[in-house]
Amino acid sequence: MKNILLACSSGMSTSLLVNKMKESAASKGIEVNIWAVAQDKAPTEIEKADVLLIGPQMRFMKKKFSVVAEKAGVPLDIIDPMAYGRVDGEAVLNKALELIGE
Amino acid sequence: MNKFMEVLENILLPIADKLNNNKYLTALRDGFMVSLPLIIFGSIFVVLANLPFLDKLIGEEAFATYQTALGPASAATLSIMGLFVIIGIGYKLTEQYGLEAIYGGAAALASFLILTPQVLEGVAGVIPTVSLGAQGMFLGIITAFVSAELYRFFTQKNWTIKMPPGVPDAVSKSFSALIPITLTLSLFLIIRIIFSYTPFETIQNFIYTIIQQPLTTLGSGLPATIVAVLLIQVFWFFGLHGQIIVNSVFDPIWYTLNDENLQAFQAGLELPNVVTKQFIDTFLVGMGGTGMTLAVIILIFMIGRSRQLKELGKLGAPAGIFNVNEPIIFGLPIVMNPLVLIPWIIAPVVITIITYIAMSTGIVPKPAGIIVPWTTPPLISGFLATGNAWQGAVLQAFNLMVVMVIWWPFLKILDKNYYEKEKSSNK
Repeated sequence: MKNILLACSSGMSTSLLVNKMKESAASKGIEVNIWAVAQDKAPTEIEKADVLLIGPQMRFMKKKFSVVAEKAGVPLDIIDPMAYGRVDGEAVLNKALELIGE
Repeated sequence: MNKFMEVLENILLPIADKLNNNKYLTALRDGFMVSLPLIIFGSIFVVLANLPFLDKLIGEEAFATYQTALGPASAATLSIMGLFVIIGIGYKLTEQYGLEAIYGGAAALASFLILTPQVLEGVAGVIPTVSLGAQGMFLGIITAFVSAELYRFFTQKNWTIKMPPGVPDAVSKSFSALIPITLTLSLFLIIRIIFSYTPFETIQNFIYTIIQQPLTTLGSGLPATIVAVLLIQVFWFFGLHGQIIVNSVFDPIWYTLNDENLQAFQAGLELPNVVTKQFIDTFLVGMGGTGMTLAVIILIFMIGRSRQLKELGKLGAPAGIFNVNEPIIFGLPIVMNPLVLIPWIIAPVVITIITYIAMSTGIVPKPAGIIVPWTTPPLISGFLATGNAWQGAVLQAFNLMVVMVIWWPFLKILDKNYYEKEKSSNK
């Protein structure tokens, strides 16, 4: 089971992506747990995650999140803006799995 | 053009980073978040208490009883929202320092109450609720910052009472907060006493006159509002979340103006402010998201020929109705797209001016101080925000059409570009 955490300002727009990612994972037969949170919840939720992905509109928070992510030993990256705009679940899922190291 | 944008992004990114990582602004934003569920609860009951035509339906007297019965819902939340913001800020700031946050919240509240007048029209033992709402907002915010800082300072000085080992954790914790809180609150008591010897009499009065009134007067004006709107649009153009950056500065002003209107609305007086939290959230953001992109989605359905835009329209519409528009912003794309820069910047400014004029001339009622969640679909949100006035919904519909007209030529060009690219790649 892979735990993928997404974060944006209020967890609204990333939750659009969550559904698409789940669909993509299901079609590939990968067991995942994907959820989206508001940015202020990310530091606590990260404990349960294997990877943290941030919405591109919050990329200025990367520095702040890197500190907590490093402490939790969780890789983090910013979601590609194009994939974000297209709500491309598969691309983001692949990116997440790549970061986890599968 | 690309070079210019690169330069601008290199300026904006650090600003966004600074503003967003500033511990006070973070505490302020998260503190307002704490109060949000409460003030939305209060707002629901203000809406219910002011349902249109109900007084005609059930009679004046029954309607008055009905309103009185619902009154406490908003009186205990929305009208005194300052209290919750203060607790939230005190808590969140103390939490950032890794200290027992609830003491920070409680200390902030007590500090604020120490500074608050406890007499009303000669009656002692009374706290005027206006001091806990709009009027006390700025003092509350400042007090929460200062008290949390003092609490941290005194705690880290380690002048705490040390308990011998074996004393239960909770017991020693309650004592460990004793000295920092005593010192913090004593300082606020001294501040209160000092101010009682000034012409201002209370620090509430002082902050209100010196800081709050000038700032809210400035913030309620059209020029400052246009500046805020422009900043939000520019940040988003570079794909940065404009509101999370700009609102942390403007929210105290917008919420204060909002609460002033609420007080007037509930007292049946003329509403003082056009620009409030709802002016922004309902009439600018609440039209499909930042930049009023619901208009863009409708236009795509009307004139879109390229597959790319049609797909985007279908993808963006369901979320767009609830004012979530990241698919449009990153998918159209609006981010870094010089072709849409003009409508992206111009449309919100035009709508700000139209809405401002419509409300200040009285054609459309001003926002009634009800907090409508920003995810409420347009038309419904305009109706609710103006205190159940149909004119609010009509204004939103009118604005939507204005935005469509502004976007039309630009979207047409964009669509043509995509269409031709698709055609040539199919050959």
